[in-house]
Amino acid sequence: MSSKQQPGKDNFTRNLVIGVVVGVVLIMLVPTLLSKQTKTDAAIPTFASAVHGYGITYNADLKDVPVIDIYEDFQCPVCAQFEAAQGDYLESLIADKKATVVYHTLSFLGPESIASANAAACAADESKFLDFHKMLYTNQPKENSGAWSNAALAEAGKSVGLTSQKFASCVNKGKFADWVGNVAAEGAKKNVNSTPTVFINGKELNRGNDYYDRNLFKAAVERG
Amino acid sequence: MTAIKPWLGLISRLVLGGVLLAAGLLKFQHLDKSQMAVRAYEMLPVGIANFIGIVLPFLEIGMGLLLILGAATRSMGFAGAALMVVFVIGISQAWARGLSIDCGCFGGGGQVEPGTASYLPELLRDGGLAALGIYLFLFPQSKFALDKFATTKKLDQKENQDEQ
Repeated sequence: MSSKQQPGKDNFTRNLVIGVVVGVVLIMLVPTLLSKQTKTDAAIPTFASAVHGYGITYNADLKDVPVIDIYEDFQCPVCAQFEAAQGDYLESLIADKKATVVYHTLSFLGPESIASANAAACAADESKFLDFHKMLYTNQPKENSGAWSNAALAEAGKSVGLTSQKFASCVNKGKFADWVGNVAAEGAKKNVNSTPTVFINGKELNRGNDYYDRNLFKAAVERG
Repeated sequence: MTAIKPWLGLISRLVLGGVLLAAGLLKFQHLDKSQMAVRAYEMLPVGIANFIGIVLPFLEIGMGLLLILGAATRSMGFAGAALMVVFVIGISQAWARGLSIDCGCFGGGGQVEPGTASYLPELLRDGGLAALGIYLFLFPQSKFALDKFATTKKLDQKENQDEQ
């Protein structure tokens, strides 16, 4: 089929196509690689601590208490189960100053995870992270169904008293999008391969019942 | 037999290229998840796994496009087969070590509940795709391809003459 073509001109289209495909792939790859790096100049919400992998950190200054790192995604159904099982207990640990608790809001389930994590950071800026966090899990919609758009998240914030214009504009503008990326990049460095993942004093909690049974979880925290 | 080869080549190109393109596009939409999928194989240091998790989808998209268009078929067939062999090794070692992971072949990935991982179908699929890649490496001439074999390498010329 090809033998009738003029030699030398034959593969011009082919070579051009190869060049274009390779070029476009590289042009898209390089900025993507850069965007996945931790951005030290990102806007950081109150409570977030670079030392703790950019997670929203409670009781950061306490000594001699267990450090509980929670890696979660607001769209992950199992994370909602974990929150239902242990959320109150974790909040009581925070209130009673019995543990340092770090919430790492990962966002690998898609755009609405990113939007939710950003909105949660906006809530943290107004000292309402925990309320907003609980509200998101209680009302968790189907993954990326369109329910957690920025506008919907801003609206949902009103139910926990986040009525300020500042909150709404923070959510709508995605003010903490770079911070959400930092949390993801730091989680990736910590080799977190599923959500929820809990570390107690840097040691990963056993998979299985420890996550969902209050007594087992409590025992694991108290062992430290 | 020689008349059917270019058609087999076309089918191999479209199947292998189509699978690579689809797999790459699905991973591209969730790069965090793609990184997680590579880490979950526990074969590489975390930093390298994270790098590969980002590069792999781009590689797959590029290879898939070139195969579908029939450009650089021979080297893309070889590269595709090599990639599938790497996947087979990764999945086999995960299976042998008793890891419970999603292969992350078409997006997804990471740890799954123990007992729910399915490795055999994935190994068979990747083995089949590797065979298509090897076929294209051996017989790169195919219908509706951008590659023109009259003026390329000696081996390809021989292929072309065989056909005539």
